[in-house]
Amino acid sequence: MGKTLFEKIWDAHIVVGKEIGPSLIYIDRHLVHEVTSPQAFDGLRMNNRKVRRPDLTIATMDHNVPTTDRGLPILDQTSSIQIQTLEKNCQDFGIQLFDINSPNQGIVHVIGPQLGITLPGSTIVCGDSHTSTHGAFGALAFGIGTSEVEHVLASQTLWLEKPKPFEIRVEGKRKNPHAVTAKDIVLSIIKNIGTGGGTGTVIEYRGEGIEDLSMEQRMTICNMSIEAGARAGLVAPDEKTYDYLRGRQYTPKNYESLVDYWRENLKSDNDAKFDKKFTLHIDDIAPQVSWGTNPGMTCDVTETVPTPDEFSKGDANQKKGAEKALDYMDLEAGTPIEDIKIDRVFIGSCTNARLEDLIEASKVIKGQKISPDVRAMVVPGSQMVKKQAEEMGLDKIFTDANFEWREAGCSMCLGMNPDILSPGERCASTSNRNFEGRQGTGGRTHLVSPVMAAAAAINGHFVDVRKMDLS
Amino acid sequence: MKGNVIKYDRDNIDTDVIIPGQYLKVHDYAELATHAMEGLDPDFHSKVKEGDFILSGKNFGCGSSREHAPIALSHSGVKAVLALSFARIFYRNSVDGAFLLPIEIEEDAYNGISEGDEIDIDISKNEIKNLTKSQTYKMKPFSEIIGKIIEAGGLFNYKP
Repeated sequence: MGKTLFEKIWDAHIVVGKEIGPSLIYIDRHLVHEVTSPQAFDGLRMNNRKVRRPDLTIATMDHNVPTTDRGLPILDQTSSIQIQTLEKNCQDFGIQLFDINSPNQGIVHVIGPQLGITLPGSTIVCGDSHTSTHGAFGALAFGIGTSEVEHVLASQTLWLEKPKPFEIRVEGKRKNPHAVTAKDIVLSIIKNIGTGGGTGTVIEYRGEGIEDLSMEQRMTICNMSIEAGARAGLVAPDEKTYDYLRGRQYTPKNYESLVDYWRENLKSDNDAKFDKKFTLHIDDIAPQVSWGTNPGMTCDVTETVPTPDEFSKGDANQKKGAEKALDYMDLEAGTPIEDIKIDRVFIGSCTNARLEDLIEASKVIKGQKISPDVRAMVVPGSQMVKKQAEEMGLDKIFTDANFEWREAGCSMCLGMNPDILSPGERCASTSNRNFEGRQGTGGRTHLVSPVMAAAAAINGHFVDVRKMDLS
Repeated sequence: MKGNVIKYDRDNIDTDVIIPGQYLKVHDYAELATHAMEGLDPDFHSKVKEGDFILSGKNFGCGSSREHAPIALSHSGVKAVLALSFARIFYRNSVDGAFLLPIEIEEDAYNGISEGDEIDIDISKNEIKNLTKSQTYKMKPFSEIIGKIIEAGGLFNYKP
């Protein structure tokens, strides 16, 4: 019987074990950031261990770095300590670090692909759940906890149970691909399969609707695999993948011979068996807006906020969750999504802060001003994205519209740095999680695409971007 | 392993309510524990006792990879979380650092056990006894590797 792409990558990385059951898996790349690594380095020191492969380990600081002027000292003492600790750990253990002043600094899942560190067919881990992003390149990439970070630092391997392959087919063509984006595709998938729909699986995204996407759009899809509970999500590499990685700073010297190998090997066999399947038809899907407190609580921009009964379809816990979500979000069932007024807009995060995201959002706001009731910010995913955007004059478009234009980092996606919502504030956010308090205690998050966020900033409420000219 | 149950009868308890993002800079585990479940239940810290268990629905621990989540619960005194299902990273973090036991249960235990009930978990028999209500439920057994990591006392003590 044939194998899926995931199974081929898995099998190629088994150090100890069988194809079924737990295996010791070799890790090709380990990405490290300041928040989930300090205890892991402490553990190494306590046991007199070294980092096994510093050459395969790369660090940056993204979660709690300020996004304001980098020339100023960091005011938050605890953030400052965490950042200094990472600097010391990287120095002591010989790990390359893109620090706060590096032109390569940025969100770890943005810089990996941008620098050519993310490669097809490889295994990639990081102490961050959105590591699934790198799966867009046909890598097996997943988030791990701090104990596993320490285990990889010490041994370059992990003991893992083999997940099951899950095929998600995205079929059809979007009528307006500028208005209905990769974010809307992945939110639609999660809305359908649920936040636990991918538990215990590695998703392979396939079909015309995926092949049509750019690499940056595929990253948005794979990024949110974790929001469906999946271990990882990946897309088989194609010429777009190889073109994207060609000639980047850390792309291997023997790249073309690798590409020849990948072309031959990195795809699921025709007779491969998937344990689970789901198909989404995208011809008629609408821009999505989350109304609740998990990414599965999402609906079309043209719909109204559902009642708990409509949402739960008879499941008592789901109903309770929806009631609690409506209460937290201060929304009434039956309210048209387009009538929901917002206070803040955040364009950023590892989901949607790449150059294409900023280009698309800038089209919406060019020559306009944001609503006087809204405070809006753009936080580019990396300093390189920021520089490229500035070279294109995008910063000017955003600042002319009264957006704040910031330095790179995770920022208001998770509320670790000073960029947070105040209690009760409502935000249109391009990030990945609308959990209670995620963007600041009492803050209310609506997940949307960059164009939807930009349009909400201008109008002060959600609008259907399909009505706008975005070509 | 005997203890009393704190029940959250809902699905999708995420890592951001278990330990909100602003506390990921806290390295002192005792202090971290004072913020456990703060995003969902601000009274948690005052009501939790050493040896308590948490009972909840599906997809417990979904979201972030932060190991701070099981650490905060563990240092609050929580010895096990019983849930209909777990998000994978939380599940693995719980056993890798030997912080707490993530126990998968069936609907009968979820519906049968109420807030405050005293229960007795017997891992060798994959059995949960409700001492308050004199009921017995099955727990789903740990997989081979998870069982061995638990037995060893964490990932770094595990020898295949």
